Order: sequence, then structure tokens, then C-alpha cells
Amino acid sequence: MKPENPLLPYLSTLQELIDLTPDVKLFRLELNDPDIREGFDYKPGQFVFVSAFGVGESPFGITSVAHHKAGVDVAIRRVGTVTNALHQLEPGATVGVRGPFGNYFPLDEYKGKNIFIIGGGIGFAPLRPIITTVLDYREDYGDLVIINGARSPQDLVFAPEFDTWAASPKTKLELTVDAGNENWTGRVALIPSVVSELKLSPQNAIAITCGPPIMIHFTLIELRKLGFADNQIITTLEGKMKCGLGKCARCNVGDKYVCKDGPVFSMEQISQLIEQF
Amino acid sequence: MSEFISKKDLLTWLGQLMEERNLVAPTRVDDLLLFSKIDQVEDIVFDFDNTTLSPKEWFYPSSETLFYVEQKDGQTELIPAVIEKETAIFGIRPCDAQGMAMNDFPFLEEPADDLYRQHRDKTALIGLACITACPECFCSSMGSGPHDPANVDILLTEVADGYIAQVLTDKGKALLPDNLLTTADVSSPPAPVLSEVPSDGIAEKMRQAFDEPFWDRLADRCIHCNICSYVCPTCYCFDVRDYTDKERIERVRSWESCQSPGFTRIAGGHDPRSTKGSRLRQRFSHKLLYFPRQFGALGCIGCGRCVRACPVNIDIREIIQDVQQLEVKSEA
Amino acid sequence: MDFSEEIRGKAKELLESGTVDCVIGYERATDGVGARPLFVYQPNDIDRLIFDQTCTHNLTKYLLNRKGKATAIVVKPCDSRAINLLINESQVQRDKVSIIGVVCPGVVKAGLDNTSGELQDTCRMCQQHTPVLYDFLVGEPASEADVPDTYPDVTGMEDKSAGERRAFWEEQFSRCIRCYACRQVCPGCYCPECFVERLDPMWVGIRIAPEENEVWNTMRAFHLAGRCIDCNECERVCPVNIPLSLLNRKLGKEVEELFNFQAGIDAETAMPFSTFEKEEKLGISE
Repeated sequence: MKPENPLLPYLSTLQELIDLTPDVKLFRLELNDPDIREGFDYKPGQFVFVSAFGVGESPFGITSVAHHKAGVDVAIRRVGTVTNALHQLEPGATVGVRGPFGNYFPLDEYKGKNIFIIGGGIGFAPLRPIITTVLDYREDYGDLVIINGARSPQDLVFAPEFDTWAASPKTKLELTVDAGNENWTGRVALIPSVVSELKLSPQNAIAITCGPPIMIHFTLIELRKLGFADNQIITTLEGKMKCGLGKCARCNVGDKYVCKDGPVFSMEQISQLIEQF
Repeated sequence: MSEFISKKDLLTWLGQLMEERNLVAPTRVDDLLLFSKIDQVEDIVFDFDNTTLSPKEWFYPSSETLFYVEQKDGQTELIPAVIEKETAIFGIRPCDAQGMAMNDFPFLEEPADDLYRQHRDKTALIGLACITACPECFCSSMGSGPHDPANVDILLTEVADGYIAQVLTDKGKALLPDNLLTTADVSSPPAPVLSEVPSDGIAEKMRQAFDEPFWDRLADRCIHCNICSYVCPTCYCFDVRDYTDKERIERVRSWESCQSPGFTRIAGGHDPRSTKGSRLRQRFSHKLLYFPRQFGALGCIGCGRCVRACPVNIDIREIIQDVQQLEVKSEA
Repeated sequence: MDFSEEIRGKAKELLESGTVDCVIGYERATDGVGARPLFVYQPNDIDRLIFDQTCTHNLTKYLLNRKGKATAIVVKPCDSRAINLLINESQVQRDKVSIIGVVCPGVVKAGLDNTSGELQDTCRMCQQHTPVLYDFLVGEPASEADVPDTYPDVTGMEDKSAGERRAFWEEQFSRCIRCYACRQVCPGCYCPECFVERLDPMWVGIRIAPEENEVWNTMRAFHLAGRCIDCNECERVCPVNIPLSLLNRKLGKEVEELFNFQAGIDAETAMPFSTFEKEEKLGISE
């Protein structure tokens, strides 16, 4: 059940707030109206706007999966005025949720394929629903390789789930950081070099990457070197946006809008965009 | 024979309209000509080329509240804004009416923008055909024309002692009392001759010119103010922010311009359109390339306001001409 | 008055000798009457350069986009004061700029041609007809005009009651559409992040409405107190004809009376609000 006015958020309640890193929190949100909540469906890759009433709203990729029927999770890094205000909320607070918006990862098309998830920093957050879905329907998919990178060990998001992921069948978890600390015994390397080192095979595979523009740029170079075709490389873009509907005219890249033509694009699609992102 | 209304009857009728709804019409404010809400019909200016600012303010206000949030006793309530009163805009030029029709594409595309739709539904347009034109006008090159009846509810064309009236829609019919119009043996004056701008095939040429240094050179001169966007009837970018006072919170949207620095800068600092040239190119690409691809029509209606108002003479007519003639370097 | 030939000659010399790689001057606008800024990089564009009394733009703002690059620029006397301001505030390197100064009898109002003689209002009150700073001077240095009253517009406003002044400005600001053309054209407005765009703290809301407009316009005026060089560009570009020069000139007059200081007369004297002398008492009783 959609409201008449797509700029009106659904009143929602912050159920739980979990610290993921020093500046990233996971927000578990539940829509207040039971009818709307029942009909609120979304797919991996889609995003919602979350309002801190009195400050404003910003778009965030959804990190939960709809089939768990447990509301909407978003991982929010504190970087601006809206995210600052959201970070100061306590469980029980009323927020606004608008969406879901955008296209999604076509997971049905990935069935039977090997999937490589390559995420950097908070850019890993919108990739988590792919992992959850693959692990929930494990037999439908091939191998799963997860590369999660961050500036430092404490900046790696979703640490409580690492053990579950690593222990899953046909699944490999590779963690890497730009700079370690005294407790870190893992990898210290930039994500693109991990991609290169793992020699990911493009055979029957799909690589999905998200992170800072510079990381995506060099990851792309490595994937191409490994023989990945542009239609095997998928990313999700970020753009400044105010509506999610293609109306505020901010997030366009050439004649495509990140909010409604994206945020999920294949490199093949990106290379055909008029404007460079 | 044409349907006719005398100047005197027109004034009486406008006076009646003013009683029952908002009447908006061109008025003189200092040296400017602005669409204003009319309190007395004597304030209406009939003899003008076009207004300084476009009438888009009355469909898509420079600032408006989208909804209110009220918090009482731990309960939060959302109260959407509602447009209560009907409005009639008198004196809108055919080019500007076309501009509103262009804004319908993005705003009314489903899921439609609710407030815009309310404004549009509750507003009737009484157009005035152009008898003269500004030197900067070029509507006839952009899919409209000085006598274009396509996007108004009633079109009036000035003749001796009154106006030829074309009632074009049911909304227009509903505005007119019975027997107000008479018939008269008058014919429409010739439309003014406008400068020609070579807009045919411009979208394709814009695509070819996209990566040319032309845009950076043009941006040398651009000061990146928001004038062109704000005087333009078809620029529709917006910003959204919350306002808080003691009682309640309001979510407000205001016009924004793709020319302002930081328009595309995301939290964290990345800005995909950080150069002056890329920002300037965005404005013209949106109107002449993206909009046609998205909606099948040019996003500029040739009112000439940006040409008149630009402090550094960034002239869209010249740009269209230059882009048409640009020799694009073939990719070696 | 027409100095086009002299400007072209100097531009040719500077470009061909490699002294600069760009000359910022004026060319005829598309209306065939007015002028617009022109950036000349190639000798074959030199003939497009003009200079006459339609050349109203203060081009010095463009120097901020060419930091560190050897540039020649055509300046009128008021514009030349902006270069001093920008040198003083470390925004322009003197040795990177070749200044072609032009003796100026004033520029004409928008839309009028060179021969109309109808000057912009601030030009009629101007006392500076020879640039204060230049490498090359075009025109004969003028004997400075004897203008008996420098601020007739400001004193005219001062004679009104506080209520009348408030009503006047409220009406003016109510028209503002927050296009920021005044800021974008102003050589004194170069903050990387303008207060009006600060989100945290948010000084001014995004609403285009009387209250916000008033905060915007008055705060901008105060930021320019003692820094405005009176080129009238803000007022010229304002699409809704707000008399911004009147506001800036009021503050200019105050600074002149309090500190005996005018912005941009030289590059060395810092503007009063960036310095503090021990003997300044700021009117606070001891």
C-alpha cells in the first residue's frame, strides 16, 4: 500500500541500534503501520530514505533481506548532518522511511554461478543482502567469495557475522585492511591487489563490487585483467539525491538516474553512460 | 467570425475571478514585471512582452512545505500539505504554458509529485497570445509559437477594443460565465516574427559535442550563479531540508540549481561534477539531450529569459548554433 | 570612448611574447550592443577584444580560477582595487598577473550603447577614474573629478527613519530569489564554503522567503564591510533589481568614517577588521 504522495515517509520505529564500527551503526527499523509493513517488499540492492525528523533525510542501501520478514536494516556511517542526527537516536525513536527505490541485483540470473562480493568500507553494506540470500538458498548458487576491506580492522563492517560466513559451504571470506594494528594477524593489502592475488576466475562467475570510487576504479582494472567481461562486473553507484524518483534531477549520470535506473549497474552499462561517474 | 470579449468585460470578469479564487497576473514591481496575486484588477499589466520571472512559481513554488510533523504526547503525526484554493493565472504567454507542460513530464510521471499535481489540477490558465516579441524570444524554434493555444485553457488575442477568445478546455469553459463572449468579425493579428534557432537534430549534436573542450571554454565566462535556472520556466531541480520550531517540524523543498557548486557533492566529499565545464554542460545537456531522450521533447521553450538575465551573456541560442556547427574531433 | 585597439595591441604583445597564456578582456555580446567577458588564449582571437563604456564586468573574479597561471587582465579603476584586495588577502600573486589598466569615465547602464552616455548610478559618484594598480595604462590619467559628496545615496537613506529604512529593505529583500549571483560575481566572495551553504551549523535555511533572504543579504553585506571595492557588479547582476550597492556603500562609508580606510586602495594596508591595535577601545568603557 503506497501513500498518494511518494515524498511522504512511512512513520517507523528504531527497534535496535548496533555499533558496527566506531562510526557505523546498524539501524533496525520497523514500519509502524501494520498494513504498510505487510506490503513493504524489497530486493537486494534497493535503497530507502531514512528521515531524522527536524534535520532531513538521506538515502541508504538496505542491508537486510525481505524474506526474513524482520523489518528494514540500514548501516549508516556518520558523515554529515543527517547521519549525525540519526546516530544520536535511541531505540524507540520515531524516524521516517521512504522507499524502497531503485533497481536491484538480479540474483535469479546469478543462480548456478560463482559469486564474488568485493566491498570496501561502508560500501560493503548494500552487498550484505546478496550474501544473506546466497547463504539462505545455498544450493542455488556456486562458490561464494567475499572480500571485505576497510581502512583498519575496527572499520570492517558486519564482524559478528564473519564466522558464520566463513563456515558456510562453498564460501570463502577474505578480510583485508589498509593498515593493521597489534591484534591484527590478517591481510594488510588494498582490495584491488587482493582481487589480483586470489586469481578469481571469470568462468561462470559474476563479480559485484561497491566502495569508494577510487577502489572501484582499481578493482575494475584488476577484474578486467583476470578476464572478466564488463557484463560480469556489477556495481552499485551512489549519487546525491533528494527524492529517489528521478524528479529532483541531482543524481543523473548523463541521461540515467542513479535513483531509478540504478543504483545497480553493470560495467557494460556504465561504459555506455554519456557522462563519466 | 471569432468569439470576442471587450476590454471592459474582461476587467469585470477578472474582478469576479478574483473574488472566488486566487487570481495571478502580471504586475509592475519597481522596474520588474512579475506574476503576483491580484487584489485589484487595476494592478494588472496588459501591455508587456513577458515577465521578468517565469510563472513556474505558481505551480512549483520557490519554497514550499511538503508536510508537517507534529509530536504530541509521544505520538508522531505526519500532516501532508494541501492546496486548498483554486487559482487562475491570467496573462501567461504560450511559451510559458508550454514550459509548464514540459514540467508535467518529470513531475507527473508516476509516482507523481503530489503537490505539483495539486497545483496543476487547481490552476486554470488564461493565456495571452504575443503581439510583439522580445529580441531574445525564439519559441517558434522550440515547438511552440507566439499564438500557440496548445497548453492553456483559454487563449486571448488582443485586437481593437478587446480580445479574441479561444476557449480550449473544459476547465476554461468552467471559468466563463454564460453569455460573456460575443461574436465579432475580427481576425487575429499576425504573429510577431521571431529569431530562428537551429534546434533540429540538436540532441544528436549535443551527444557528439559532449566531450568537447567547448564546454570548458564556455565555462571560463560562466560565474555559476543560479539565475538561469531560477528564471527558467522548465528548470525543476530541488533541494529538501527540514525546519524545526517549537511546535512542529516542516519538510521544505526549495529550488536548487545544477550550477551551484556542491550540487552533486555527496557526504564524504566525492563530487562527480566538480569542474565548471561539466556543470555548465549539465544544464544544456539536460535541456537539449537528456530531456528529449527521456520524454521526447526539448526541455527549453525559447522564452529568452536566461538570455536576458545572464550577467555574462551565456546565450543558449548561440550555444545551439555553435554546437550544430562544432566540428567534433573524430576519435582516432 | 573606445580603447579596443590599444587593448588588442597590448594583448598581442603579452601573448606572443609568452608573458601570459591568457588575456581576460571583453568582447561584444550577442545583442550587438553590450559587452561580455572574453578569455583569449590564441593570437587569432585577439581581434575579438573590445573596450568601451559598455565593458561593465569586473573581471578580477576570474583571477581566482587561474591561481598560479600567468594571466593578463583588463581592469577599470574599481576593478583594480579588487586586485589589491585579493593580493592583500593572499588570493592573487602579483607576479602572475599582467594588469592592463584603463582610464574610465564610467560605464553605461545595461542595455545602452557606448555612445548613450547614461552612466550607472555608482559611476556618477565615483572618484577614481585612473586605476590604482596597473602594469600598462590605457588612456590619459584623469585629473580626479571633484565630487562634492561621495555618498549622496547613503545619506539619502540615513535621513529616513529606522522604520522607513526597515520597510524599504524588507520589500527589497522579499524579492530576492537566492540565486547568489551577487556572491558569484563578487571578487570579495571567495570562501570555499559560503556560510549560506553551511549545513552544520545551518546559519540560513534553504527557504527562499523574506526571513532567510534578509539574513542572507545582510550577512553578506557585513562580510564585505571594509572589503567592498564599489564596482557595483552585485547590483548590476541582480535579476530582481535589489539595490545592493546601497547596502555595501553604507558599510563602506561607516568603515571610512571609523577607520579612515577604503578597500583596495593599496595592497599593503590590511582591512581594519583583520587587525587589532591595543589602543582601539571599541567603545567599551574601561
